[in-house]
Amino acid sequence: MNKSHKIALISLLSLSNVSMVLPAAADPARDAILATLAEEAKKADPAFGGFSAERGQAFFAAKHTGGKPDTPSCTSCHSQDPTAAGETRAGKRIEPLAVSKNPSRFTKVDEVNKWFGRNCNSVLGRECTAVEKGDFIIYLSGK
Amino acid sequence: MVNWSVSDAHSSLQMVRVWDLPTRLFHWLLVLSVFTALLTGFLAPEWWLGLHLTAGYAIVLLLVFRFVWGIFGTEYARLSNMANATRGIWNYVRGLALLRPPHYFGHNPAGVFMIFGFLAVFVVLVVTGLMIEGGEEKQGPLAGVTTYALGHRAKEVHEVLALLVLLMIGIHIAGVSVESWLQGVNLVRGMIDGLMPRPWGYHIPTPRRARPLAAGSVILVLAIATGGALYALSTLPPLGIPPMAENATYRAECGACHWSFHPSLLPRSSWEQLLAKLDEHFGEDASLPADKKNEIARYLAAYSGESWDTEAANRFRLVSASDPMQITKTSYWVAKHRQIDPKLFQSAAVKSSSNCTACHKDADTGRFDDQRIEVPKASGP
Ligand code: HEC
Ligand code: HEC
Ligand code: HEC
Repeated sequence: MNKSHKIALISLLSLSNVSMVLPAAADPARDAILATLAEEAKKADPAFGGFSAERGQAFFAAKHTGGKPDTPSCTSCHSQDPTAAGETRAGKRIEPLAVSKNPSRFTKVDEVNKWFGRNCNSVLGRECTAVEKGDFIIYLSGK
Repeated sequence: MVNWSVSDAHSSLQMVRVWDLPTRLFHWLLVLSVFTALLTGFLAPEWWLGLHLTAGYAIVLLLVFRFVWGIFGTEYARLSNMANATRGIWNYVRGLALLRPPHYFGHNPAGVFMIFGFLAVFVVLVVTGLMIEGGEEKQGPLAGVTTYALGHRAKEVHEVLALLVLLMIGIHIAGVSVESWLQGVNLVRGMIDGLMPRPWGYHIPTPRRARPLAAGSVILVLAIATGGALYALSTLPPLGIPPMAENATYRAECGACHWSFHPSLLPRSSWEQLLAKLDEHFGEDASLPADKKNEIARYLAAYSGESWDTEAANRFRLVSASDPMQITKTSYWVAKHRQIDPKLFQSAAVKSSSNCTACHKDADTGRFDDQRIEVPKASGP
């Protein structure tokens, strides 16, 4: 599972930056974000073998504990279906996270860092790891 | 004072026109306007404010007309005639006490006091009304010169006088009924056809005639002068609505999860407290990098409730002691929205009580005018 060929491709990509082999809607800015995350992941765990869309999907849909009571899951606001629009707790529409629906997703590094910072704290009560973030982006890039 | 026998008043007496057409028209238009103003004022002022204001402005015009006609109108329309009639008040009171009230051709002294009372109260009502409109709502000709505090004080006077008017109308109607009964004359019909019976042997002094041309020109001059003055006043910028620069950072960052609240809706201390703990923001982490937070802090401090004199800013400055960061927990907000079905706030069209723009079309200006409230229909959850 860990050594699926998709992951191998991503690892390759993070080193060589060959955007053509990205699963969907390749974007240099998103690649750069992923590359940074991969570097971080490698630093934390030299055995890091690459990001996984399956892990990302599980993380996205899971009910977590440790965070704030009103937001147990990423799906609390982003809707169960990442290709559909979500809604904040105050009722404002959130555009879909799936890159196929919303190609500008995960392309602005400040936005990505800000929202991972906030939402991971709200949902998990801690920062997300580089692996969790990378998995999340890979999963939604393929959606 | 004249005496005549009560029984045969209408049948055998000669009917003479005392109330001229303009005076009668004035009377019934005033009835209509005052009735409209009272109704819209006491029932749901927010919803009917437009109609209330129209009625108020109509009363202004009617009053102006009446004072001019009181100088240039026919005999019994004139203020001097009415002032003369007041001299008979002691006679009238004595007669009433002895259950033999004297009869009058033209004005009855008690009636004149009532009329003067009405005119005085209406003048104060329209002036305080304009002050409320200018001070509290920041609308109308006095918006540029009336503070909220002054408008609020005017409102207290306005409300007491409105109750007084109700009382006076009651007394007026009772008085007219009793007098009609005692004199055997239908005074209400008299205010419609203008006729009154001429008592036996009563010689009508040559009445002064109307001078419509003079009246018309004075009204024209007054209308141009006051209209011009009011127009000039209304071009002044409203007091306490400072021009506010748009801040893209505030809009984007504080508008990501909900409507970016107008800075005037909370006092400075509330904004400071809110920004100090963005990581614990109403059950969510809304933290920001320091540079953006500082920019937003400066913006909110510059345009917080203290910098505004709108009704909303004045009221929401009094925050709830337990929830000082929530507009929706202030007693004013709670009181103003108590009658709204809670289900509407959760409906698809509104979603949350903090979604002010769903119902207040001018929320982005901070004004929250009554005329700009458009409550959407509750449709589905
Ligand atoms: C409380 C509601 C809420 C929850 C729960 C939530 N998010 Fe979000 N998320 C938002 C909002 C609001 C935005 C910003 C709006 C937008 O970008 O359309 C956002 C944006 C993001 C972005 C930025 C996307 C981009 O455009 O680059 C990421 C990444 C993100 N969320 C990740 C997560 C993750 C991971 C979780 C679960 C751990 C999560 N969110 C849970 C509300 C939420
Ligand atoms: C991550 C999402 C998020 C961000 C970003 C955010 N808020 Fe909020 N805010 C909320 C939620 C959720 C509530 C609760 C509102 C509700 O229940 O409808 C709230 C409530 C509020 C309220 C109280 C409203 C009331 O009267 O009930 C204020 C004021 C407020 N936010 C100001 C701000 C300001 C200022 C910023 C920018 C610094 C900001 N918010 C950024 C999510 C957010
Ligand atoms: C569901 C619709 C709805 C929402 C959402 C809503 N309001 Fe209102 N609001 C009303 C209605 C209706 C009135 C008039 C109530 C009355 O006086 O009968 C009102 C009255 C007011 C008034 C008084 C206006 C005046 O001049 O008398 C203010 C101020 C106000 N709202 C502020 C707010 C703010 C601030 C918010 C958001 C935090 C908000 N409202 C959200 C419907 C709404």
